[in-house]
Amino acid sequence: MAARPWLLLAPALAVLAGLLLYPLVRVAVISVQDFSGLRAVYRGTAEFIGLANYREVLGDRRLWYTVLPNTVVVAMVCVVLTVVIGTLAAVLLESLRPGLRAATTIAVLSAWAVPAVTGTYIWIWIFDPVQGVVSHAAQWLGLVPAGGENWFTDRVTFFAIVVINVVHHGFPFVALTVLAGLLTIPDELVEAAKLDGAGAWRRFWSITVPTLRPVFAVVTILSTIWDFKVFTQVYLMPGGDGQNREVLNLGTWSYVESFGQTEYGTGSAIAVVLTATLLVITAVYLRTMFREGEL
Amino acid sequence: MSAHRLSIRLAGLAVAAATALAVTGCGDDSSSNSNAAQSGSGKTLTVWIMEGTNPDATPFFDQVKAEFKRETGADVNVQFVPWSAAHDKFVSAVGGGETPDVAEFGTTWTPEFGEAGILAELTERVKGSGVSDDLVDSLVAAGEVDGKLYGMPWYAGVRSVIYRTDVFEELGLQPPTSWDEWLTVATKIKEAKPDLVAMPVAGNNEYGVYPFIWGAGGKIAVQEGGKWRSTLDSEQARRGIEFYTSLATKHGLSSPAAETWKETDLKDNFVQGKLAMMISGSWTPKAILEAAPQLQGKIGAFPIPGEKSGISPSFVGGSHLAVFEKSQQGDLAWQFVQMMTSGRFASEWATQSSYFPGLKSLLAKSISAPDPLIAPFARQMKDGGETVPVTPVYGKVQAKKTVPSMLQAILSGSKTVEQATADAAAEMTAEMQG
Repeated sequence: MAARPWLLLAPALAVLAGLLLYPLVRVAVISVQDFSGLRAVYRGTAEFIGLANYREVLGDRRLWYTVLPNTVVVAMVCVVLTVVIGTLAAVLLESLRPGLRAATTIAVLSAWAVPAVTGTYIWIWIFDPVQGVVSHAAQWLGLVPAGGENWFTDRVTFFAIVVINVVHHGFPFVALTVLAGLLTIPDELVEAAKLDGAGAWRRFWSITVPTLRPVFAVVTILSTIWDFKVFTQVYLMPGGDGQNREVLNLGTWSYVESFGQTEYGTGSAIAVVLTATLLVITAVYLRTMFREGEL
Repeated sequence: MSAHRLSIRLAGLAVAAATALAVTGCGDDSSSNSNAAQSGSGKTLTVWIMEGTNPDATPFFDQVKAEFKRETGADVNVQFVPWSAAHDKFVSAVGGGETPDVAEFGTTWTPEFGEAGILAELTERVKGSGVSDDLVDSLVAAGEVDGKLYGMPWYAGVRSVIYRTDVFEELGLQPPTSWDEWLTVATKIKEAKPDLVAMPVAGNNEYGVYPFIWGAGGKIAVQEGGKWRSTLDSEQARRGIEFYTSLATKHGLSSPAAETWKETDLKDNFVQGKLAMMISGSWTPKAILEAAPQLQGKIGAFPIPGEKSGISPSFVGGSHLAVFEKSQQGDLAWQFVQMMTSGRFASEWATQSSYFPGLKSLLAKSISAPDPLIAPFARQMKDGGETVPVTPVYGKVQAKKTVPSMLQAILSGSKTVEQATADAAAEMTAEMQG
């Protein structure tokens, strides 16, 4: 009898083990091996060298001065903006009439439906130093010298464009999830608050936010995870493929080290560091947001 | 693994189908087909070819497939791989054990994969085929590790300067023959045509800067006592890099956008009529004219000028055809490689793709061609051809983007030429010795 739940879970667990657990374990194993060069790839095995790869990665100045700040700061900015804009969009959607709401929802969803690769190229074109619409506008307004300015070479402007891209791509999910939450708030609660003289601002903070706390927790954690491993949106940007070392993040650094340099051991160690960082951040989040296991 | 099994199963099906055809008498039983070369009957050869070399490669490979089928009875499955993704794709294919039988390799990758034991050594086969003496030397050298050849030279290309003849004519300018003249010409274009980028300096294109390093008498790296050491920080190399980047930083003849341009961005912008000159490959004029027919008769080429006179050397790049060590059909694969790299198909491919063939006897014909969009490149190839350091680790240096990174740092002003070259040389030396 006790075996029945496990029996029912078995297919799902088997799929998860195959698709998630095996690669994870393999990455962990490679990260403690001297898995470098095409020969190692060809043979599929390598010597164990303990924590040497981690020493190399953690001892690299680039990790602390470039890669980690790029990853953490950009992810934090992205998460905050995604959740705020997503919530505002949700509040807007809720206040619309059904027909208009459907139309707006479709518009919002289209931003989400665009694949990351396509979306990234669109933003690259928008900010193209010569032909981009933003560049044209900035030149017309006299904000940048005639002939344009290359925003892709500067770390701050580079990541500003990345943030716009990531937030634009990520906010629809937050908007829809929060909207679903908003629609579950009982009308009586809102009416009662109105009778007590609470304004929209007060109602938002006293009713909406506490009720939706679990929803916010979920979208924040998911956004954090997504925004930490941003890869496409950086790699495809001009200079983001390793040419400009100032804009490497954990994802692109790991990729450039593993595949370009055929240093899979080092690349895997970086990937493990990324996973560990994410776990720590998620744990801290959960602890601060839920003092008594509300989730 | 599964794909492998699938291909075996498909091969089995093909055999069954062939047998059925033979039994029902529908098979092509012309006498030429019944010789011993038919050993490939029912087999399928998987071939990876780089995409875009030949603007429309499908008709060409349809002919190749038909001919190969006629000669050997085997089918050829050609898959096109984009250049930019190819190196990664080869590495993952090796990791997953899903390599094809034959693949086109960029000449700078062949030593890397050959040394790792992934490619079959072709030295004996090439000797046996009797074309050894006819192969273009720089392409042979690029495919060798310790005297063992891993890639059969297929085609080659070289970069020179492509320019707008209409702009030059209008302003009464002549193609420059020294760096000083080049600067003067570009400056005049900039003054007369401020909307055109006179001479773009593409930050993400290492092949654009090499001619200046070599033209000033410098080298990328030298081998001393079996160890490679980068000489990007030598006085000559610095002088070349200084001149090239100063076109953008000091003289404003480039565009800020070019700081992150790749070679393909140069071509795209030229096609849109925004550039007066660019350093570009011998294979691009045809593609440019196809994309922008209005430029017909308005583009020309000249070899990259030397510092004082003559020609600045330019990288001779190209492709090998290589056979994978794991291929179960080595003989058939070699037959395919031979067919592609000699005779009719070799010269047709060269003509269609505007590359130079890998055989001296065929190259000679191209050099004497009167075409103004071929002859300057042929001269560059003959009199000003160079190669990057021939060592398996140079592929890693390229993957690390050491040189593009240096260029971008100088162009965006974040480093001086001295600092950027010193950093790049240190990184490259560490990589080559590491």
